[in-house]
Amino acid sequence: MDLNQPVGENYANPKTCFFHVIFKAAALAFYILSALFIDNFVIIFVVTVLLAALDFWVVKNVSGRILVGLRWWNEINDLGESVWKFESLDQESLARMNKKDSWLFWWTLYLAAIAWIVLGIFSLIRLQADYLLVIGVCLTLSIANIVGFTKCRKDAKKQIQQFATQTIASRFTSSIQSAFTVV
Amino acid sequence: MLHRDTIPLHESSQSDIDEIENLIRASVQSGPSTVPAARPPSPPRASIPISSSPYMLSGIPPPPKSSNQKSPLIAPPPILSPSNNAGGFGSPPNTLTEPVCDTVKRDLMRIVNNLKQVVFPNPFREDPGMALRDWDLWGPFFFIVFLGLVLSWSASVKKSDVFAVAFALLAAGAVILTLNVLLLGGRIIFFQSLSLLGYCLFPLDVGALICMLNYSNAMVKIIVVTITLIWSSWAAYPFMSAAVNPSRKALALYPLFLMYVSVGFLIIAIN
Repeated sequence: MDLNQPVGENYANPKTCFFHVIFKAAALAFYILSALFIDNFVIIFVVTVLLAALDFWVVKNVSGRILVGLRWWNEINDLGESVWKFESLDQESLARMNKKDSWLFWWTLYLAAIAWIVLGIFSLIRLQADYLLVIGVCLTLSIANIVGFTKCRKDAKKQIQQFATQTIASRFTSSIQSAFTVV
Repeated sequence: MLHRDTIPLHESSQSDIDEIENLIRASVQSGPSTVPAARPPSPPRASIPISSSPYMLSGIPPPPKSSNQKSPLIAPPPILSPSNNAGGFGSPPNTLTEPVCDTVKRDLMRIVNNLKQVVFPNPFREDPGMALRDWDLWGPFFFIVFLGLVLSWSASVKKSDVFAVAFALLAAGAVILTLNVLLLGGRIIFFQSLSLLGYCLFPLDVGALICMLNYSNAMVKIIVVTITLIWSSWAAYPFMSAAVNPSRKALALYPLFLMYVSVGFLIIAIN
């Protein structure tokens, strides 16, 4: 045990955490500041939505994997039905995930969505339909990620339970088996 | 005698190990690349080729004489070398531990493939329902934004409004067209249809770009827009018509043509 370590653990993946936060913060900051300084709605729209889309991709494909070990996507199977697929690390690795990383992951996800909702309320009050469009797109992306990862986490817990009961059952039967064969 | 087993296993131990291996193989779980294997498996188990090969590749030295005891339950996940993306247990590709460059490349290739599949004339386009199985929304996003930008550049006044209207029209149009097909009792998947309608905007993008670069000649604009409009409709038609009952085909296709024609007018009329 390293006695020189601070009381809490440090971030295990500082670069990923940084990228996870930077795109969200940049989209929000750009949106808020640009309304004050830039007159051209098109630029505001394109840059904000682009940053939000990049953030969506980074969270879904990179920081979700690395910070909390979860991944979700949608596939269309051979029968033409849409199937939501969830992937997660096994229980050992999930338990070993850095607590600070996952705390940061989930909280920034929620806070970003809340920030967009607040900004949306402002736009609604001012009756600015085009800014509402921007906020609508960004909010949709944030909520999609929240819903996807929450479902994935629930699915991971369910799978761990299933796996545990399966292996306990198989160990039980095999130990009975070996007990009888030895005799 | 079997030469591959240097350590003779008790028969029941071998079946235990087999069972545990099967359970692990059947689950959808995988391990991170930074975690070293807690217990690398012993090499004598050459009877399970699928799981042992990645272990071999990563060069983990075998533990001595551990197979005789009841092995602890958690068989370790394999250490995947960065370039090894294939599922370690013979399951579908393990994407949890791939490096970021692979993810980026995979997504880019998907966009290009979708574009080629949907938009470009393809004599082997047999089953339109299978188009865009691997849907993604990046392509549609870029095409809609691009079309909005081109229209906005071409406009001399009220540029922001033009952009906002174009974007909202196209996005809402795609959603409404999809809902229309669903309400007519058609069988499509929401996102697949959105994705398809977005990709089918590519010809109109090209048309709008040409019109923007050549904005003085109205005749040329009309011809170009008509051609690209027909191309867009041709790309979207099979998918939409295959999704509904033959008696309802016209009801599903009419709004589609209407939307593309209105976008075409927007392109022509912008000055």
